Amino acid sequence: MTSLRLQNLKKRFGSTEVIRGVDLAIEDGEFVVFVGPSGCGKSTLLRMISGLEDITEGELYIGDRLINDVQAAQRGVAMVFQSYALYPHLTVKQNMGFGLKVRKVPAEEAERRVMEAAASLKLEALLHRYPRELSGGQRQRVAIGRAIVGHPQVFLFDEPLSNLDAELRVHMRAEIAALHKKLGNTMVYVTHDQIEAMTLADKIVVLRDGVIEQVGTPRELYERPDNLFVAQFIGSPRMNVLLAASVERQLATRGLKIGSAHGIGMRPEHLSVVDAGAGILRGTVMISEYTGAATLLHIELESGETVLVIHNGQNTPRIDDAIGLAIDPENLHFFDGKGEAIRPLQRAA
Amino acid sequence: MADTLTNHVSARGLRAPRFSLRQREAIEAWLFVSPTVVGFLLFFLGPLVAVVYFSLTEWNLLTQQSTFVGIDNYVDALSRNPDFWHVLRNSFVFALGLVPLNMSLALMLALALSRPFRGVVFFRTIFFAPVVTSAVAWAIVWKFLLQGEAGAVNQLLAVVGIDGPNWLREPDWAMVAVIVTRVIKMVGLNMILYIAALQAIPRDYEAAARLEGASNWQIFRMVIWPLLAPTTLVIFVITMIGSFKVFDHIYLMTGGGPENGTLVLAFYIYEQGFKFFNVGYASALAMIMFVIVLALTVVQMILRRRDMQ
Ligand SMILES: Nc1ncnc2c1ncn2[C@@H]1O[C@H](COP(=O)(O)OP(=O)(O)O)[C@@H](O)[C@H]1O
Ligand SMILES: [Mg+2]
Repeated sequence: MTSLRLQNLKKRFGSTEVIRGVDLAIEDGEFVVFVGPSGCGKSTLLRMISGLEDITEGELYIGDRLINDVQAAQRGVAMVFQSYALYPHLTVKQNMGFGLKVRKVPAEEAERRVMEAAASLKLEALLHRYPRELSGGQRQRVAIGRAIVGHPQVFLFDEPLSNLDAELRVHMRAEIAALHKKLGNTMVYVTHDQIEAMTLADKIVVLRDGVIEQVGTPRELYERPDNLFVAQFIGSPRMNVLLAASVERQLATRGLKIGSAHGIGMRPEHLSVVDAGAGILRGTVMISEYTGAATLLHIELESGETVLVIHNGQNTPRIDDAIGLAIDPENLHFFDGKGEAIRPLQRAA
Repeated sequence: MADTLTNHVSARGLRAPRFSLRQREAIEAWLFVSPTVVGFLLFFLGPLVAVVYFSLTEWNLLTQQSTFVGIDNYVDALSRNPDFWHVLRNSFVFALGLVPLNMSLALMLALALSRPFRGVVFFRTIFFAPVVTSAVAWAIVWKFLLQGEAGAVNQLLAVVGIDGPNWLREPDWAMVAVIVTRVIKMVGLNMILYIAALQAIPRDYEAAARLEGASNWQIFRMVIWPLLAPTTLVIFVITMIGSFKVFDHIYLMTGGGPENGTLVLAFYIYEQGFKFFNVGYASALAMIMFVIVLALTVVQMILRRRDMQ
């Protein structure tokens, strides 16, 4: 059983509190992604799980075992670092076998385990190279191989793909997903890239300033964000948020009440261009960015606010055209004055 | 704007330039390096050639008489004059005592002081301060502290019941004393070099090893020490060379004594040249020292190159 349980975890560096009370349950075999802007405490939280940072307050369980005071090496976790942390003076094989050597695993068994991991990651041909003789993607694979060799119960990844170019990142992302499928281990993965989070995660944990903003499946976070921060962090380009007051009248004509809402959110991909006067919004095309598959329109509304629209269809409007924008009411998000989501269901009740 | 540009270009194009682009670049390059080249010729190559020439003559500074004697001075040093081998032995004893002591102390200090903690700058400063202290003041103060009965060092030792020797009056102890006081003076420099090297090692290296179960000793042995190898090599060579060239320290603390117990090569050269005015002989000795230091440097370069591969 390698579930993880974080109970009111806190971390202070001196007097600054970096992790401010995190509660989280991670199921056995789950792929959990911590996502959030740079500096929000993702790495710190991951390092607290690994044992590289000690826990200021709260409790951390792996399985049923309280491990606050268990040494990093005894926790059964392996970590893949953003920098890969491969030793430049050791070959690929020696790097992968480092942990086994340190733990005095018999040479034969160590050899077998390294070869096994190398085979599964297609690294056999590279075993006698030094890290400097490898490409970024190969280094990445060696770092993963090094983690696999120790047969950990839990894998921890700290932004493992952020040093790779875009194309390789997509490729390695798929490899990591495949690895998870094959091994079935519990994995905790840190990234600031919401696309990575969406594509890899069974469960996403959105962090901000050391606290959890929301936990949920990628679909839940996208469709029902709990607050403005999550709404705008997940999804690209980010969700448009308009002052409720400026669209109150238009919504009312369609029988929608804004109630106590202060802000109304609409994702660029949910807005569609209609004739001026139709739809719920009216504005002028300011900028039109053609990207091939779609066109990204910057529309200035009558209220002076700007919204982004992803336009897929034909009949792309021209710059300075007056247009209307329509949206399925189901895709509207309502937020109160504090940025908390107001759920349509709750309003109905 | 466009007009002036074309005018400019065509005006240039009409007159053939005095120098081709390549020539101009070469001239500029030489102008840039000339200060260094002049300095090198004037202060290094010139004196070197002069010393080579002097070493082949018998030249007495007092009488200003110079006669060409070929390799006589070298033969003198290497086979006829027993002093030379004694002095060379002293130089090696000094180096072999100083270098390991200096380097191990520097490494230990660096390991202790490479990570930030409250007061770390204070400690780094304490250990580095002697490096920038006047060598003269340093030697004189230590000479004072190391006096027989009355010296502070022996009085301190007496507190813990040790009857200290008369440090600077006994040949072996004098050597120990100059080595130790020299190490204390210079260790800060190597410490700083080691600190810089340690700080250049990514913190993830240690974290990864620790996560895989490595002990502090294993981390040092298998990760830190190998990664320090290039720095260790550089420190080894500069410390070795520095210890062969030690002069002021000896001059001020022991004057080469007692019983020539601390008479090292650089000081011996000085004595021969400026005390006994045997400029030819001193020059030959200087050439021998130059060759020793050069050999050490070449060895270092070869080792470094091998290390790179
Ligand atoms: N060892 C440390 N000492 C002091 N502050 C730290 C330390 N490590 C991280 N921090 C601070 O904690 C915050 C969170 O850092 P980190 O967990 O690395 O963020 P993230 O990985 O989300 O970008 C940052 O403000 C950072 O400056
Ligand atoms: Mg981070």
